[in-house]
Amino acid sequence: MPQHEPSALLHTVEIVHWIALGIMGVVYSIRVWWLLRFRATRDRQAPGNPERTNARKGALYSLANVAMPWAMESTRSKPFFYATFVLFHLGVVAGISLAFLSSLAPAVVASQAYAALSGALLAVAFVVAVGRIVRRLTTPYLRLISSPDDYFSVIMLTFWFALAVLAQLYLAGVIQGEGFLVAFLIATSFFLIYVPFSKISHYLYYPFTRYWLGRTLGHRGSMPTVRA
Amino acid sequence: MSSDSRSYKAQVLAELLSRKLTRPLVASLVSCVHCGMCHTACHYALADPEDPRMTPSYKGDQLRKIFKRNHDWTGRVVPWWVGAKAPITDEDLEALKEIAFGTCTNCRRCTFNCPMGVDTASINRTMRGLLTAVGVMPEGVRVVSKDQWEIGNQMGVLKEDYLETLEWLSEELVAEVGDPAAAIPIDKQGARVVYAINPREVKYDPRTITNAALIFYAAGEDWTMASDWWDQTNFGLFSGDDQLGGTAGRRLFERVAELGAEKLVISECGHGFRSTRCEAQNWAGVDVPFVMESAVVTMINYIKEGRIKVDRSKNAIPVTYHDSCNLARSCGITEEPRELLRLVVSDFREMTPNRQENFCCTGGGGAMSMSEYTPRRLKSAVIKAKQIADTGAKIVATSCHNCVDGLSDLIKYYKLGCQVKQLVDLTAEGLVLEECAVRRTPRRVVPMPEPLPEVGPAPARALPLAGRTVLVVDDEEDARTFIATVLEDAGARIVYACDGDEAISVAKRERPDLITLDLSMPGKDGVEAFTELRHDPEIASTPVCIVTGHPEFRKVIYDRPVPPPEGYMDKPVEGEALVKNVRRILETAHAAA
Ligand code: SF4
Ligand code: SF4
Repeated sequence: MPQHEPSALLHTVEIVHWIALGIMGVVYSIRVWWLLRFRATRDRQAPGNPERTNARKGALYSLANVAMPWAMESTRSKPFFYATFVLFHLGVVAGISLAFLSSLAPAVVASQAYAALSGALLAVAFVVAVGRIVRRLTTPYLRLISSPDDYFSVIMLTFWFALAVLAQLYLAGVIQGEGFLVAFLIATSFFLIYVPFSKISHYLYYPFTRYWLGRTLGHRGSMPTVRA
Repeated sequence: MSSDSRSYKAQVLAELLSRKLTRPLVASLVSCVHCGMCHTACHYALADPEDPRMTPSYKGDQLRKIFKRNHDWTGRVVPWWVGAKAPITDEDLEALKEIAFGTCTNCRRCTFNCPMGVDTASINRTMRGLLTAVGVMPEGVRVVSKDQWEIGNQMGVLKEDYLETLEWLSEELVAEVGDPAAAIPIDKQGARVVYAINPREVKYDPRTITNAALIFYAAGEDWTMASDWWDQTNFGLFSGDDQLGGTAGRRLFERVAELGAEKLVISECGHGFRSTRCEAQNWAGVDVPFVMESAVVTMINYIKEGRIKVDRSKNAIPVTYHDSCNLARSCGITEEPRELLRLVVSDFREMTPNRQENFCCTGGGGAMSMSEYTPRRLKSAVIKAKQIADTGAKIVATSCHNCVDGLSDLIKYYKLGCQVKQLVDLTAEGLVLEECAVRRTPRRVVPMPEPLPEVGPAPARALPLAGRTVLVVDDEEDARTFIATVLEDAGARIVYACDGDEAISVAKRERPDLITLDLSMPGKDGVEAFTELRHDPEIASTPVCIVTGHPEFRKVIYDRPVPPPEGYMDKPVEGEALVKNVRRILETAHAAA
């Protein structure tokens, strides 16, 4: 197993990376505070269908929706798209884990089993991300709704996946060049600071959006949905 | 962006947005990742794949851009990076109107297909509400909203016509069943049930009222209809105007409470049920002391309790069911209509997809009142037409008056050769009256109903405004005529204007003693005209009484850096109150002079 001996540069980058994480935490906390400053809503009317559902059930169903591809026509009818969605996000988890574990537990990320799993997820996510760029560029309605941030975010993630694959290979001793890990950590730091200001912050809002929608529709009686 | 560069309306719109922001709305605005998953959920997008503007997120983006420009960190600093953009000119607002009213029926199908839980339909409704608040809306929306504000129902049905129709229906029903007890009770104090209807029933489909009355009669129900505030529909849902929504709801709730009923039964109408049962309490901020129920549930209960008996073989033609978007996606009413249909028809066929996944009839969201968008609506209806044709049914049953209109239109356009019926019709047609509660219990001797209250001419009055000249400014002919007639009856000489420019020139020419001024008008609106009037030394001191259907403009008017108006009245105005106010203003102005 090759050794991951941190150079002064790598050491500095690791520190920067942790500072970036701190900044992201602070900015995210402000984001949540900002969201909660808006007026809360209240349902005065009696529950719509209390024998079948309620606000709690609606909220739980809504939150679990991401793991239920059969629940929505849009995911049910496009299993391939749903699979790529899952792989893309597993790749993000793998990349973030790699960034932190590379300094916290270098031996773990260098292990063959970890490297194989992480490397595979990152490589697949990279391919999916490339596919997403192509899809965004070639689908007219996606082009119409896309802002520079939409393009930049997916290009940045693609680039980040590529660096993550190389960093993982380096950490597993398959290739040489600490520069890959340094570049990957710099990209991660940028990513951590940029994300709260971009569309990628959707994952912070996701639980709130889904909870409020599910609570509202659950109270009215239309969530969970009923299928024939 | 300097707010000075924005048109007055664009500026007000941005200000109003801040007040409309709630947590769920903001969450929906910030969560869209532009993934495009909602694209195939929308009937507009499916029917017109060549037009990328039909994709739901594009429609949601219209408000999202304004929100980002005004409220989002990145959008305020580098707007172009995240697509933030606020409308600047009145032309921008017109373009927004085309999208918000002309390309979306607020059906919520995309909401149920968004992985992020973005409620695009609610975003679009908010956009409509903002545009309506600054007077930018299709003419049909303006007219229907005014009718609901001023006359108290969406179709402008006058009280005399409503009562006459009920009287006529009542007489027919009594003659048909040969029992005076079948008469339609009006304003029966303490009745257990108040039945509220859609004005469309009075105007175009009175058969549904007779059928409901027959069912109530057959079930031996203690019920009534109200002579006032009987409209269960609510255009506030479509126009996004929560104030109209709250006012219309409050009027109905107060009437039901005054009558002391235990239950409000809402006739079959998707948006009416949603607004009354699920939204109006929140818009109006009130609680209600009675239960609200869909007529579908009432009918099921009557059958289950043995109060009415229905013979399914009387309805043998194949029937399919169209789920109203408002009932299925916003109120969870999916199983009840099916349960009822299985009890009253013998050949029921499901439409695919159905329940919360059903496609819109294309007449929702007030689309039937916006004729300028009819070609696009009918084009998008190809999706629904295919769904219907695939069932092979000859009757499309639905529990919504809007859907009846939308479906009838598309059935004709696509030559599907079927008819649309409501569940109340199918239930009434299958009734076996001899086996219903009313015929099983000993006959009561019921006297013929009291004659309905006469609505006669107003009593003669003194002429409190004799010798005064009043300039009546309103773009709506009905409103102008009403105000003018009331003031003329009170002795005033009336001069008219239809918009802000005309108002200024007539005021200069005629030097009226007072101006009644509408605020929402095409061209130069009332707010601009008022400001200009106050700046013109020739007419600056003319007393002004604002008469508006937009109470939200109160702040806008009083915020102007000019002396405030002498009076302010919300539409609908009562004749007596109008005369009183005008007289008070004139007397105060005279005393001050
Ligand atoms: S509204 Fe939802 S489904 Fe549509 S693009 Fe946005 S996130 Fe995707
Ligand atoms: S609410 Fe309905 S009509 Fe409007 S964008 Fe969504 S799917 Fe289309």
